[in-house]
Parts: sequence; structure tokens; C-alpha cells
Amino acid sequence: MGESLNRAATPELLHYRPWRGEFRTPAASIWPIARVALTSIFQKWMFWIIYILGLLIFLLFFFGQYLLSWAETQAGETDVQLGGWGRMNPRHLIALFRGFLKLDGSAESYRSFFAYQGYIVMIVLALAGSILIGNDLRFGSLPYYLSKPLSRWHYLLGKGLAVAVFINLMTTLPAIVLFAQWGVLESWEYLFERFDLLLGILGYGLVLTVTLTVLLLATATWLRRTVPLIMMWTTLFFFCRLLSAAMVDGLRFSPRWRLIDLWNSTSLIGAACLGLDLETIRPGNQPPWYEAALVLGGVSLLCLTYLIRRIRGVEIVR
Amino acid sequence: MPDLLDSPDSGRGDRPLTAISVSRDPKGSAPPALPFGSRLTEEAAALPLLLCQRVSKWYGPVIGVNQVTLELRSGITGLVGSNGAGKSTLMRLITGQLRPDLGSIEIRGHDAWSTSARRHVGYCPELDSFYEEMSGRQFVEAMARLYGYPRREALDRAAFALERVGMAGRAERRVRGYSKGMRQRIKLAQALLHDPELMVLDEPLSGIDPVGRDEFVRLFGDLASMGKCLLISSHELEELEKLTDHLAIMAHGRIAAVGTVAQIRDRLDNHPLLIRIDVKRSSPGENDSENDERRRLAAGLLKLNDVVGVELLDARPEDAVDPVLVRARNPQRFFQELTRLVLEEWYEIARLETLDDSTSAVLGYLLSGRSA
Repeated sequence: MGESLNRAATPELLHYRPWRGEFRTPAASIWPIARVALTSIFQKWMFWIIYILGLLIFLLFFFGQYLLSWAETQAGETDVQLGGWGRMNPRHLIALFRGFLKLDGSAESYRSFFAYQGYIVMIVLALAGSILIGNDLRFGSLPYYLSKPLSRWHYLLGKGLAVAVFINLMTTLPAIVLFAQWGVLESWEYLFERFDLLLGILGYGLVLTVTLTVLLLATATWLRRTVPLIMMWTTLFFFCRLLSAAMVDGLRFSPRWRLIDLWNSTSLIGAACLGLDLETIRPGNQPPWYEAALVLGGVSLLCLTYLIRRIRGVEIVR
Repeated sequence: MPDLLDSPDSGRGDRPLTAISVSRDPKGSAPPALPFGSRLTEEAAALPLLLCQRVSKWYGPVIGVNQVTLELRSGITGLVGSNGAGKSTLMRLITGQLRPDLGSIEIRGHDAWSTSARRHVGYCPELDSFYEEMSGRQFVEAMARLYGYPRREALDRAAFALERVGMAGRAERRVRGYSKGMRQRIKLAQALLHDPELMVLDEPLSGIDPVGRDEFVRLFGDLASMGKCLLISSHELEELEKLTDHLAIMAHGRIAAVGTVAQIRDRLDNHPLLIRIDVKRSSPGENDSENDERRRLAAGLLKLNDVVGVELLDARPEDAVDPVLVRARNPQRFFQELTRLVLEEWYEIARLETLDDSTSAVLGYLLSGRSA
């Protein structure tokens, strides 16, 4: 049995020292719950690998912007030969690259970044969902939380905060870094003149955060295990995308059928946050953003309703 | 069916089936411990620590807890019953994890569902699932933060609690590598963090080696002697007997009986107490039926009102005693009359032993109509 219970010190240790301070409100337990969830995620080396892979897209944008800016400073006035296609001014060439790769600090650039980064976020969340919340239900850790002076809502908010931190570390935060980098590389005025872009980035991040957090909490609470969770997310974000494309682009159904693709809906609202027109979005023939907002709002509400019912009935006899 | 469940009250829907209910304020009762962050007024201290009134809980069509009434003040109470009897559901109701569908549960006058009630309660769940990648200290510290302590205080309390359960030296190791006993200690540490008045412990002794059990039994005794109230669910009846003789017995979602083992045993009228009396032989080795003292004793016993049967057990010639098995109701009155009989007739009694008043025997009678 090794170390024995410290019987000699019983009176002192059991009464500790009297607590004279004020207890924090139950809301203060939200961050500790999130911290426990994040700790359990980041203590797994697999997630560091996926996170670093996710950051590769950010690094591509970051160094892409930097290299093109650097190349611009190095470019002379003399035209350069482009293989057998003729000659071109290097500045025009760089501008062409910028436009093509969306590395020009425009709203398109950030939309493009969110779109690419979002794929990685979805994969990571599908893998992380069971650890973040599913395991609490699967292995019965929930009583540790629910017997403490906090409500079920605090528990859900804590877990939601962990997911939100995770999403924003991979999307909003890198996008803000790209915004700041463009300001530093091009001109400081950009940061003030295009402040609307910063707000757009925050708005897009918020849409992703709310939708994915609620959806992940609900699906992880329902399915609990990693493999079914991945299958569900694949269905939601991959199969529904294919289906909507087939219905709208192939069978020429109403563009509203694109609304079954939740990822497309987040992109539509994100684009609206960044001030982009519907015409700039590919594939074309899209429904208006407010219809997408309505669908995502409905799905989120549905997920919340399920969560409330599920958490209430968590002790149902199996 | 168990005697107490078949009592005349059992058919009435308007009364909780608390066949034997004895309010507890046990031996050596120390003043109630003060919870952190609050000073108990005299009025609050006078309130029962735990008061369940006609509590029922359904899981869909299944009833988990049925019209349970229970009042506890301080000391250790064992919560026993077979699997599925409703022990864990009752514990979850008391710790505010579940809300009763009917009735009320109060902890020091606060609704058990409220956060203020949970500050008085420490809960040690049966399952030992933790975050396997965390260290024991990280886990206990995280739990301390959930009670609302600031970081520094949470760290101190985690250190104290780990020290108290003998895990201070092993707290830095990952939970993944912990044995069952170490996990039990960590669970107990997180329940002790806020020095609660009421501790609800679900199977705290399972999986612990004998040395560890003794340590836990001592710890629980220490806590009780400090005026705390412990509600301990356990299938380890022998260990539970070392801790307390005060039991709440659950069957089919109901409290079948509450009280000391002796009090509950006294009320089991359908199961007369079994007593073995060894009568000393006048001349060892002899087995003369004519001069057999025990036959005279048996005859005398049969004249007593509470004796329902006497059996002469086979005695081995080499033994110096002749055993008699007596079945008697109302043990308290029986033993008074037996004492009088022995003194009047000058019987030489070598040994007197009650055979079925142990916790397991009482539980067996209550739950299945026979000794466990």
C-alpha cells in the first residue's frame, strides 16, 4: 500500500485553514472546465501533429504574402521572358500571382484562408470531439462536474469554450496575424482603412465558432466515440456537399438546396461578414446569406435543444 | 418478500415506506463542522444535514427511487441493498446531480439541486474514470477550482487533500498508471477538498487492499468523530460493520429500513433471532440424557413468551458443553427473561452467541427472506 494515510495530522489537515474569502460564482468554473478539456487534448501528441499540419496552410499564406512583397521590392523595370509565352513586366507578374493565389490582403484572401483552414478544423474537431466531451459521458466522468456547485449550463459552456478556443486558434487568430502582416508589409494605413476587414474576420470566426461548437457538442454527446463521430462529420460536411452540388449544379434544382451543405452556409455568412458579393463565391448560383443564417440558426437551436434534453437525462439507466 | 416491505403500510400510496426510521445523532456527537465560506447560524445548525422527504425519481417507465424519506444529522450511515435497489440514484439525488420528480431533498435547509447545497456536500462516485493523461495533482487541482476557490487556494487545498489520502508522493504521476486503490484515493481527495459536512461515498472500499481498507476505515471514523455526516454505500458488509452499525437498507427503490442493526433486527418478527447457548456439562465426557442440564434449560426456555422454538444440537462426547439453539422474538425482553431463568436455576452457561444479527444476516432477511 506504500504511503499510508496521514493519520497523525488528521485534525490540522481535515480542517485545513478556514476559508475567509468569497467563493467565486459558478460562472468562474467555466474556464477551469475548458482548461481541463484543452489539457486532455494537448497532452496527446497526435493533436500537435494535426495542429502543426493545420498551421501549414497559415504558413503558406504568411510566407506567400511575405515572399511576394519581397519579390516586389526586388523587381526591376525590365520585362522578363516567360518561356515561350512572351515578355512581361515583373510587377505585373507579381500582381497576377497575388490575384490568382488570393494573397493580396483583400476580403477574398481572408475568405480563401478560412475556407482552406476550415477543412483542417473539421478533421481536428471530429477527432477531438470524443476527448472533449464524449468521454465524459462514455466513461462516466460527468458526476465529478455535476456534483460541484455549478449547473449543467456551466459545464456545457466550459466544454464549448474549449472547442471555441481550439477553433479560433486555428482560424481567427491566424487570420488576424495575416491581416496585421499585410499592414506591416504594405502600409500601416491598411490597418485603419480596412478595419472593416478585421471586423469581418472576427464575424467569420464567430460564425464558425458558434456553429461548429454547438454542432460538435451535440454530435459528441450523442455518438461519444471517435469513429462514429468522424463518420457523422463526413456525412454532414462532405456527403451533404456532394449531394447539394449534384442537386443544384447537376439536376438544376433550386439554389436553396445548397443550404443542406452546412459548410457552404458558414462560407456564405462569412463572405457576407467580409463584405463579399454572392457573385464572387464559387460555385455560383448560391442562396442569399440570410437564408443560410436561418438554417444555421435552426440547426444550432436543434443541437441546443438536444443538449439540454441529453444532459438532463444523462443518468438514464442503461 | 422481506418482512418490512410487506408491512401493512406497503399498499398505501400516501405514506413513504420507511418501516424503521431512526433519526441519527450518534455517539460522541461532536458539534457540526462549519463549511468553508459561511458561518452556520444556530438556526441553520439545528436543521438536519440531510432531509429527504417522500422522494421519487423515474427513469421513463422505470422507477429508480420510490417515496424515500431519510433524515441524517452526523455520523456514519451505511447505505446497503442489492444491485439496482436505487442506492446510486439516491446518492445522485442527494448530491444534486438529479432532480427528484416528487418530494424534496434539503441539505442544511437548501434545496439539494441548488449550488449553495452542493457546497456542503462531497461526492465520491463509484466509477473511477478520470482524464488519464492528467496527473493526480492536476485532476484534484482542477476539481478544487470547480468549487470556486481562487487558484492559490485551490493549489493549497489540493495539496492538503492529497496529503490526507496518502497520495502526496505519487500525485505527479499520470492517472493512467494508477492502481485501483490509488484511483480510489484520488476520488476521495477531490471529495475532501472543501471539507464538506456531508460526504456521499459510493463504494469507496471496492478495489482497495486490506491495509488500504483499514486506513480508509480509520479515516472515515476520524471524519465522523469530527461531526461530519458520511453516507457510505458498500457491498463490503464486513468493512461497513467496522465503520458503523447505522444502516439505511434499500430494496426496489425504497428505504426498507433505517436504524442500527440491532433496532432493525428487533423488528424482523417473521425471522426470530437465532441464539446458541452452550450449557456446561456437570461431568465432562458423559452424555447422560437423564441428567442433561440442557434439557431442563430447554424446558424452561419453552415456557418463556418470546421463545418460538428450541432445538438440541448434537454434542460431541469430547466437548465439555451441550449446545441448545433457541429461536426467539423480541430479543431485548428475551435476554432479560433468559438472565432471570439462568440465575434462578443456576445453569452454567459456557457460551452465548446470537447467530443472525450481523449486518449481512439482517440484509439477507430483508432482501430475500433468508440469511445472506
